[in-house]
Amino acid sequence: MSVLPLTVAVLVTGGVYLMCQPSLIRIIFGITLLSHGANLILLAAGVTAWRGEPLTGRGDPADAADPLPMAFVLTAIVITLAVTVFMLALARIGHDDDTHHMPDTGEDHRA
Amino acid sequence: MTGPALPLLVVVPLLAAALGVMLPGRLSRMLLVVGPLLTTAGGAALVMAHSETPVIAHHVGGFVPGIAIAFVSDTFTAVMITVTGITTLACIAVAMLTGEARLRFFPSLVLMLSAGVNGALLTGDLFNLFVFIEVMLLPSYALIAMTGTWRRLGIGRLFVVLNLATSTIFLIGVGLVYGVAGSVNIAVLSEMDAEDPRFLLAVSVVLLALTVKAGVVPVHGWLPRSYPATSATVMALFSALHTKVAIYAIYRIHQVVLDGAPAWITLVLILVTVTMVVGGYGSLGEKMIRRSLSWQMVAGVGYILAGLGIGTQLGLAAGFFYMIHHILVMGSLLLASAAIEHAYRTNQFVGLSGLMRREPVLAVLAALGMGSLIGFPPSSGFFGKVGLVRAAAELDGLQLWLVLTAILVASIGTLLAMVKMWSEVFWGPPIEELPCYGRGRGVPVPFPHGTRIRRRTLLPSAALLGASLLLFFVPGPVWELCLQAASGLLDVSGYAEAVMSR
Repeated sequence: MSVLPLTVAVLVTGGVYLMCQPSLIRIIFGITLLSHGANLILLAAGVTAWRGEPLTGRGDPADAADPLPMAFVLTAIVITLAVTVFMLALARIGHDDDTHHMPDTGEDHRA
Repeated sequence: MTGPALPLLVVVPLLAAALGVMLPGRLSRMLLVVGPLLTTAGGAALVMAHSETPVIAHHVGGFVPGIAIAFVSDTFTAVMITVTGITTLACIAVAMLTGEARLRFFPSLVLMLSAGVNGALLTGDLFNLFVFIEVMLLPSYALIAMTGTWRRLGIGRLFVVLNLATSTIFLIGVGLVYGVAGSVNIAVLSEMDAEDPRFLLAVSVVLLALTVKAGVVPVHGWLPRSYPATSATVMALFSALHTKVAIYAIYRIHQVVLDGAPAWITLVLILVTVTMVVGGYGSLGEKMIRRSLSWQMVAGVGYILAGLGIGTQLGLAAGFFYMIHHILVMGSLLLASAAIEHAYRTNQFVGLSGLMRREPVLAVLAALGMGSLIGFPPSSGFFGKVGLVRAAAELDGLQLWLVLTAILVASIGTLLAMVKMWSEVFWGPPIEELPCYGRGRGVPVPFPHGTRIRRRTLLPSAALLGASLLLFFVPGPVWELCLQAASGLLDVSGYAEAVMSR
C-alpha cells in the first residue's frame, strides 16, 4: 500500500534536486519528474486500492476505478509534453548552459 | 446573453487563433481586432444581463450538473471579462501602430491568450481552471520568446520554469482536493465543511500556487525580473491579464470554497501589507521605466488583495474597484512607455531626458497616470484608495492600524518612485545634450534629428487613461457593480444553486 506514496516521494525529491541545478536540460528533467509525481498524486486521489477497469459492461460498477482522475492525468500529461518540447527548444537557442555567450538571434544586441 | 452563449467567449478567439495561423498577415491582423472586440462586447452584454439574473451557468453538452463541465458567470466575472477585453484591445492597437503585430504568429498567439483568459474567468471547476491557465501561459511563453530585448531568452527560461513548477503544485492541490471532496466543481466544494483540516490543507495548496502566479511577496521575485524583458506592449498585455487572473481565482476560491476562512485572515493581512510596502519602495532601485513600473504592479497586487483580507462587502468591493483601476492605469502607463520606446528606442532613465518640453502630450498623459498610481485626484486611483481606507476603517485593533499604516507608507513609496521617474525622464536638459544615448551593451547610436513620438501611438494609452478619469468623475455605476460582485462573493447560495440546477 505504501508503494505509491514512496514513489511520489522519490520522484518529487529527484525533481526538486534537478530543478536546483544550473543547466536547463537538468531543470527540464526535474520538471518532468515533478509532474510525474503530481500525476501519481492525482491517480491516488481516485484509486486507493486495486480496482477493476472503468468500462461499462465489464464487471460491477462498484468495483470499477474512478475514471475522472485518469482523465485529469491524461490532460496534464499532454500539457507537460507540450511545455517540455518548448523548453527543449529554449535550451537549444538560448545561452550555452555553462558559459555566458550572447545568443545569436540574427538581430543586434543594442539596448 | 444566455447560458449556451458562454462557451462562445472562449470558442470565438480560439477559432480565430486557428484561422489566423492559416490566413495571410493582413487578414489575421483583422481577426486580431475582431476577436477581442466580440468577446469584449459579449462581456458587456453579460454585465447587462446580470442586472436581472445574478448568476448564469451553462453545462457543456447538457450533462448532469456536478459532472458536466460548467461555465459560470456572475457580475465579478462579467466585469473582469469586459475590463481585460478593453485593455487587450488597447494593447493590440499599440501592437498594430508599432508594427509588432506583423511578427509571425503574433495575432494567433494573442488571440489564444485571450481565449485562455476568458476561459479561466468563466470556468466553474478547479481542474478546468488549471487547463485554461495553461492555455493562457503557452502562448505567453512564445510571446516572451519573440518580443523584447535579447535578454528575453534567458528570462523566458525563468518564466517557463517558474510557471510550470507552480502549475504542477496547482495540479497537486487539485488532486488533493479531489481526494478529500470527491469533486473539483467549485459549487460542490462550496458546500464542503471549510473547518475540515484535510480540506483546508488541500485548498491551501491550490491557493499557494495561485499566490505565486499573482506575485504576492515573498514569492514575487520573478515578476519584476521577467516582465520588463519583453516588449512594452506584451508587458502591458501580461500585466492586465496574468496576475489579474490569478488574483481573480484567489478571490473566487477564498470566498466561495473557504467562505472567507477567518482563521488565517491575520496572515493574509500581513502578507498583503508587506506586498504593498515592498512593491511601493522596490521601484526606487530601478533605472528603467518598465522595471520601475513592474514593482508598482507588485504593490498593486497588495492593494487588491487587501480587500480580500478585510473581507466585508465594502472591503471586497473596494479591492475589486482597485483591480479595475489598476488594470486600466497600469495599461495606460505601459502603453505610454511603448510609445516612448518606439520613438526613442530605449526606456532607460540614462537615455531619456527633458521629455516634458519635447513631448507635451505624453507628459500630460504620464503625469495623470502616475498621479493615479499614487492615488491623487482627478483619477480612479483616488477612489480606489479611499474605498480601501474606508473599508479598512471597519476593522478593529491591530489589524486596523496595520492596513491603514501600510496603505499610507506604501503610497509614499509610490510617490517617491514616481517623482524619481518624472525627474529622470521628463525634467533635465534636452535629450540631444545627453552625453550618451542608449548606454548598455551596444554601441551608442544617436537617433535622427527631430525624432518625436507619433501622436497616434499615444491614442490607446490616452483611451485607457480616459477610462480611469471617467471612473473619477462618474464612479457610481462601476461602484454599484463592485458592490453587486462583492455580495455575490459573500452569499454563495445563488452561485451554487445556479450551477447545480439545470
